[in-house]
Amino acid sequence: MANEIWVVIERTAHGDMAGVSKELLGKARELADANGMKVGALILGAGIGDLAQVAFSYGADTAYVVDDGALAQYTTDGYVGTAAALAKKYQPALILTGAGFQMRDFSAALAAELDTGVAADSTNVMIENGTVSAVRSSHGGNVINTLTFAPGRTAVVSVRKQSFPEPQANPDRSGAAVTENLPGVPMRAKVVSVAPKQGAVNLSDAAIIVSGGRGLGSPENYYKLIPPLAEAVGGAYGASRAIVDAGWVPYEHQVGQTGKTVSPKLYMAIGISGAIQHLAGMRSSRTIVAINKDPDAPIFRVATYGVVGDANEIVPLLTEEIKKRTGR
Amino acid sequence: MHIVVCMKQVPRDNSVKINADLTINADGIEQIMNLFDEYAVEEALQWNEKLGGKVTILSIGPEDWKEQIRRALAMGATDSLLLSDPAFTNLDTFGAARVAAAAIKKLGDVDLVLCGRNSTDDETGAFAPALARLLGWTQLTYVGKVVTLESGRIVAERHLEEVVETVEASLPAVVTVVKGINEPRYPSLLRIRKVAKVEIPTWSAADVGLSAADLTPRLNLVNRVPPPPRPKGEIIEGKDATEKVARLVDKLMEAQVI
Repeated sequence: MANEIWVVIERTAHGDMAGVSKELLGKARELADANGMKVGALILGAGIGDLAQVAFSYGADTAYVVDDGALAQYTTDGYVGTAAALAKKYQPALILTGAGFQMRDFSAALAAELDTGVAADSTNVMIENGTVSAVRSSHGGNVINTLTFAPGRTAVVSVRKQSFPEPQANPDRSGAAVTENLPGVPMRAKVVSVAPKQGAVNLSDAAIIVSGGRGLGSPENYYKLIPPLAEAVGGAYGASRAIVDAGWVPYEHQVGQTGKTVSPKLYMAIGISGAIQHLAGMRSSRTIVAINKDPDAPIFRVATYGVVGDANEIVPLLTEEIKKRTGR
Repeated sequence: MHIVVCMKQVPRDNSVKINADLTINADGIEQIMNLFDEYAVEEALQWNEKLGGKVTILSIGPEDWKEQIRRALAMGATDSLLLSDPAFTNLDTFGAARVAAAAIKKLGDVDLVLCGRNSTDDETGAFAPALARLLGWTQLTYVGKVVTLESGRIVAERHLEEVVETVEASLPAVVTVVKGINEPRYPSLLRIRKVAKVEIPTWSAADVGLSAADLTPRLNLVNRVPPPPRPKGEIIEGKDATEKVARLVDKLMEAQVI
């Protein structure tokens, strides 16, 4: 087993390195320095440009690059087949990926290909005496599990965004770029088209989320109150399962056990009573504000600041006050 | 076309406790079909109505999981299979995938496996991808629409965070579905009565040719704790809404979150 930690590099829609990859390079660097290891960046794609240099600037020692037209779009066969061939050749001790949908697809399949396990959607990863362990929650955040990988197998860990701080880039850092060819892998799926999602909302990336629930009374009230407040605080807007199921708001906006799990720096729950399924999706937010008529609503048990009162009266005042004070 | 749906039974809510031996204690919590798997069952039934063939519900768990298998049969599934063995008690996700893969190989004539995007208890989302790799089949995750399904070929929309990818792939395949792909039907009373006494075939580890060594976890659980309690919060008081709002905004500005 080589003494190397790999980070699978992801790109934004504009082709830049994704924030989560920078966070993971920072964490990999820290783990490598503490354990006498090296950091490798695995860069797969077509027209990859200077991503290797970007990876060096964020802490990679080596960049393994496969630049091939067949990898222009993500397919499980292409990406997993290529990564598995390289992992078998270089035997990294640990492979880190983000935990977005595409990398959840990738990391689980890669782990199966390498006959190892995957710690999915982890929030921390540790190496002690050569043993890799990871921390991940289950049961809607009600259970925090620490898992250890069997020694001698490559550990595969997908990591939730914003679990680690983004390191400072050092443009003077350099490393070794290793160019590899696409291995012969079966390509059974073909991406026919990619379309932006209508009304897409990336709640997982938002630093501030304003969510509404049934306590708002009607879909008209939701749209009158929630998006304007979200705009005033510069955030995205979410919803409870109850109002998504009632058809007020598209599923894209649902926060909770069967929607998105989020942990923004500020989460505002408005007219949301705080069913356990909803708490599951947002309880790790740094600051939680709850506004609800019912002083006994469970949401107040997790709230940092609670306001008891009618959202229809409070929210317009709050939106105006925030606009006034922040000058937005 | 033979469609297999992998179905998991999960606690209705996740207010579970942790036993001293680190197992999960869901006593007193109603057990239901994993929500995302309901969409998988419905999708299988709709295609079965168009194409004919059969829909097999496959589940790995103890005998009492037959209740949820019966629910799926009452929705309209034609066949069922419970994989049950004391050796399956502490399977990790990949162990479960190995058991399902062995069973699907033994069934032999399967064209498509449908699963929910993840279970709402373990939440790994890794079962279906592992199953696909173990079977050597195509894998399509987070599918929000199956556009075309025909002999040897599938076209599906993968609903990712910000884009919708339309993908054409060869069958056999393992597909996971997201909420919203369809509207799951309720089991009919007539069918509930009809399937109440149906015998559900049950296979053991030996029946699918797996040994204890095949089921060794790749990941070992070394600690399991409840999340740290949140710091005690504060109810903002004030003589009226305007005063409460002003105080709340003071707090949020002090905390530098807005």
